[in-house]
Amino acid sequence: MKFTSIAVKDFKELIRDRRGLFFILLFPIFFMTIFGFAFGGMGQDNTPHNIAVVNYDDGTTLATGETFNFGNNITNEIKELTYTNSDVKMFNVTETSESNADSLLKQRTVDAELIIPSNFSASMASQIASSTGLPTNINTTVSSPIIRGDEGYSNFFASESALNGFLTEYQSGILSNYKNQLAGTPVAEPVKYVNVTVQGISGTQSFTQFDFLAPGMMVFAILLLSTTIAAILTREVESGTLERLKMSKMRSFDLLFGGLIPWSLVAGAQVVILLFVAVILGLHWQGGISSVILATIIGIIGGIGSIALAMILASFAKNDRQAANLGTLIVVPISFLVGAFFPLPQVFVSVLGHTFQIYELIPWIHTLDALRGVLLYGEGLNAVAYQIELSLVLTVILFIIGVVLYSRTRLRADN
Amino acid sequence: MDYMIETVDLTKKFDDLIAVDGLNIKIRKGEVFGFLGPNGAGKTTSIRMMVGLLKPTSGTILIDGTDIKKIEKGKIGICPQELMLWQHLTCKESLNLMADMYEVPKDIRNQRVDELLKDLFLTEKANTVVSNLSGGMKRRLNLALSVVHEPDIVVLDEPSEGLDPQSRRVLWNYIRSMRDVQGKTVILTTHLMDEADSLSDRIGIVDHGKLIRLDTPENLKKEIGEGDVVEIKLSDPSKNLELITEIKKIEDIISVIETDGRINIRALNAVSKLPKIMQFVEKIDLRVDDLSVRQNTLEDVFIDLTGTGLRE
Repeated sequence: MKFTSIAVKDFKELIRDRRGLFFILLFPIFFMTIFGFAFGGMGQDNTPHNIAVVNYDDGTTLATGETFNFGNNITNEIKELTYTNSDVKMFNVTETSESNADSLLKQRTVDAELIIPSNFSASMASQIASSTGLPTNINTTVSSPIIRGDEGYSNFFASESALNGFLTEYQSGILSNYKNQLAGTPVAEPVKYVNVTVQGISGTQSFTQFDFLAPGMMVFAILLLSTTIAAILTREVESGTLERLKMSKMRSFDLLFGGLIPWSLVAGAQVVILLFVAVILGLHWQGGISSVILATIIGIIGGIGSIALAMILASFAKNDRQAANLGTLIVVPISFLVGAFFPLPQVFVSVLGHTFQIYELIPWIHTLDALRGVLLYGEGLNAVAYQIELSLVLTVILFIIGVVLYSRTRLRADN
Repeated sequence: MDYMIETVDLTKKFDDLIAVDGLNIKIRKGEVFGFLGPNGAGKTTSIRMMVGLLKPTSGTILIDGTDIKKIEKGKIGICPQELMLWQHLTCKESLNLMADMYEVPKDIRNQRVDELLKDLFLTEKANTVVSNLSGGMKRRLNLALSVVHEPDIVVLDEPSEGLDPQSRRVLWNYIRSMRDVQGKTVILTTHLMDEADSLSDRIGIVDHGKLIRLDTPENLKKEIGEGDVVEIKLSDPSKNLELITEIKKIEDIISVIETDGRINIRALNAVSKLPKIMQFVEKIDLRVDDLSVRQNTLEDVFIDLTGTGLRE
């Protein structure tokens, strides 16, 4: 089992290279600390979110004969909403026209803009009818309220998340109200007739911007590993030690699998260390030891992806400095693309009839989603299994590409 | 005659550059083969092909009668010119790692590692990390790592580079013992002519990718002429050519060339030619700043065959 000797060798080199180890472990902690201090309090201070509401709703007549304008109703509810156990209003609402709301957004006088469409009440009526079995006097209607905002503005995400949470609560509240009124009516599986077009992040008012960032920082640290590993793999070429190994009976599998063990453990360790630091800095961590174990496993899978990326980088870099530079050039944009620092606009592509977001092809986006699910929402294995599976499949594909490229360029006789 | 390495029309091209041009060499089993040539002559390229690290453009390499592509890994050990060491491992860890990579059985691994450390005077540094070793120790470890699996062929690419005389002696003794005690075939490339002369059974000289001579050191020295070498440094080196023209007229002079501002005269019984040479020096109104008489060396052969022009 030559790969165990390679693993032990890599582990010893890792431990004895103090400067390298410092970079690997302390650099992400340093980043986490800076982000913790910078964003730790953001959104947590029970300060109202400034929003503009543009209400186009025409109202509707319900099956009960009642005429109702859900747009006006939701606007009033938003105005009256307070933080849990507090008298502080959650939103400062400005009712205005769309053009004025846009201009307020640009001036950052408001953090977000909620546009209630003209068919909002009709869609709510459809929703009620669908859920309660009541007949409706209008055609089935689907509406799309819009939450608009500046995606480069951090306050937008906090407001958007709070608004999204409230919209979901509002719909379920209305539905349960009607169901209670008509108790005993057979209820069909509810169909959603109100689709908010902005992706929700968190509906929990107590979440801060740092909660959103902390799992992102973990993924960033895991991704950063690829630059370090790529530099080490390239150094092995530069120092000639790889040539020595190539002359021996070592197989590509021994080298690559041997390297995989210590580095994936480092990725898992990074998740644990960074979680510890993040909790100290105020992360609203949900879950107990099991969530840490699950997060570590997710981190290890992400780490294997980083090792695969490192092999690809090391296939092209001529020296360790080039590997580090090339790594940074690749890792930083990937960190942004997976949404480690802020969510990206939705970009859908359609392949063979399947529509999906283009970012979903990057394995670490699923690492991040799974980490957020486990650490922030206390989700278990079942809830994040799909993300873990996707992450695993994409990592395996990336790893195969890495092994093929590295073996072809570095482990065969030179041409 | 049994040959351990045989190259047939071995050629390597890098774009327009022909680094090795139809090389035909037969290296005998159990000999130390000196492989000499100026910088850029194609030595390292040839060696990298002979050990399987570089694919030839054309030609064949036979190792113990078998095509190099079919031989078992571990038959050849290479001690490269550059230090190829893991800086954060100790000497013992490095040797154990390579022994494992070559599948040396565990029951003999420890004994072999200990012997190597002892033979190359590294026992005291067995548990020292490589980055803390001196240059000479690193170079000895570099050699030890190449032979830990006891290969039949050992390729040493400029092994004495940067070594002090003491370390060089340790190395030379070890190379001799590899041939005399262990029966290994050793290929040695070096720029130190005394090293090649002292250690090699036969020497191949390559230049411009071609083998230009292959013989024993003694025969090579005889080939360019028996006798002595006189070296003269004139007070005014600009008149070297004038003196060379005069000296060439003397009977039994084998060759007269200018090397590094000195006049190098090869002749039978060179001492008897000195009065005549001094007459010429006086005739052109010069004086001699330095004069030496010595026997022919391998370096003279090398310069005679490959010239004095720089190759880099």
